[in-house]
Amino acid sequence: MIQLFHVYKSFDANVALKDVNLKVREGEFVFVTGPSGAGKTTLLRLIFGAEKPTSGYILISGINLNRIRRLQLDLLRRKVGFVFQDFKLLPSKTVFENVALALEVSGHKPSFVRKKTRQALKAVGLAGKEEVYPLQLSGGEQQRVAIARAVVKDPILLLADEPTGNLDPELTQEIMVLFRSIHLSGTTVVVATHARELLEDTAQRTIFLEKGQVVGEK
Amino acid sequence: MKIRLLVYFFRQAIQSLVPNGMVHAVGLGTMVVSLLIFGSFLLLFVNLSDWVEGWGENLTMSVYLEDGLDEKMKQAIMRHIQGLEGASVKEYISKERALEHLRAALGERSDLLESLSRNPLPASIEVIIRRHNPRRTDPAAIVKGIAALPGVSDVQYSEEWVNRFRNILEVVRLTGFIIGGLLGAGVIFIVTNTIKLGLYARQDEIEILKLVGATDWFVKIPFLMEGILQGLLSGFLANAILFVGYLILAARKTFFLGVAPIHFTFIPFDYALVILAVSAILGLIGSFIALGRFFNL
Repeated sequence: MIQLFHVYKSFDANVALKDVNLKVREGEFVFVTGPSGAGKTTLLRLIFGAEKPTSGYILISGINLNRIRRLQLDLLRRKVGFVFQDFKLLPSKTVFENVALALEVSGHKPSFVRKKTRQALKAVGLAGKEEVYPLQLSGGEQQRVAIARAVVKDPILLLADEPTGNLDPELTQEIMVLFRSIHLSGTTVVVATHARELLEDTAQRTIFLEKGQVVGEK
Repeated sequence: MKIRLLVYFFRQAIQSLVPNGMVHAVGLGTMVVSLLIFGSFLLLFVNLSDWVEGWGENLTMSVYLEDGLDEKMKQAIMRHIQGLEGASVKEYISKERALEHLRAALGERSDLLESLSRNPLPASIEVIIRRHNPRRTDPAAIVKGIAALPGVSDVQYSEEWVNRFRNILEVVRLTGFIIGGLLGAGVIFIVTNTIKLGLYARQDEIEILKLVGATDWFVKIPFLMEGILQGLLSGFLANAILFVGYLILAARKTFFLGVAPIHFTFIPFDYALVILAVSAILGLIGSFIALGRFFNL
């Protein structure tokens, strides 16, 4: 599903990633962890195609992101869900509209968009909150809206960057339960986190990043 | 393109107009003023053209005769003129009547004429040439023909005046084009900045749209529609204001040189449509430029 070959990424003089080699198989659940500034977010942004590597290659489902065309990348993003620490919800749109946006960009029929959006909101436990605006929700609920938006298009890959960074431990567990259920439905999940409590007692594969390099794996 | 997508884009364009209402109102106002200036030039040009062409429809010609011409020669000249295509003799002005006219025109200073030993004014024939078919009746050729007749000393005709006005008309047209071009550039600049402000205001939304897989065109089309809508709206308003201005002008009795009544006409429907189309195109170009500079997500 995801393959990185000798990937380097620099921002001017700052090296964010150094010689990263990585393989994530289809259907895997992977944690990427490390201290702040280790390069977790940069790694996810590279996988998402939001950044290009300074050198090295990234393949997603066999597609080389170095050579991908703009339109191809847009189409690929329709198969990849991304959950951000800061949710990235539109405050002027309702919960329903925020989630539906992910399907509307693909030009689906309104009836299909309505049905799938309601299903996604129900799956994350937000049925009945369709017409509420994001800022009227708690942090945990907002993150669930963001997850619903990421999974509503049935992605083959779900990337989450510090998805519980703004949440208390109880809500963190709730969100992780959601990710596990998404994984069980067959989606490959990559979660970047520096929260140690998430990694304790987990059997999931965990990749350790430090100063832009992969320093270990569990 | 699917109709539901078009509806979606149109809805997005309208939704963008509402929250940035003040910015759009200022932009719209400036665009309307610019188009109004251009429209006023068009109105002026159309009316000047009409007047000049109206004068040109019936050319008047003064055929001056040599002194001492006998009645037979005079009749021969008049017959020749009557036989010309579209020409008719309006009246014969004898030397004496010409002097009377001059005396009347001089008014209190007519005593100047008393010192003349003889009447220096020539007799003349006033001729009207109707130009039903300009191809068949070439005024210049008629003038040349009449001037060559024996007994004719000079021919003066209103075409010279018409041509002078035509030259003025050309200047008005050229000025209109230059001002129109400058205003067009101004309108593009205004739309570019209005759309850019809208783009900045919706930066987060655009970013999210791109993150969920929207193509560039999916994001761009509502902004292009916004530019077109802004253009169309300003074009419509400019036409409407221009029409009101025309109605006010047409309601007043205006005279040319204090004598000839001037009839105003509104710009033809085609021209109004052109203003509308041009404003829409300028709006589209403006939003295109704004998007081109903004898009690199």
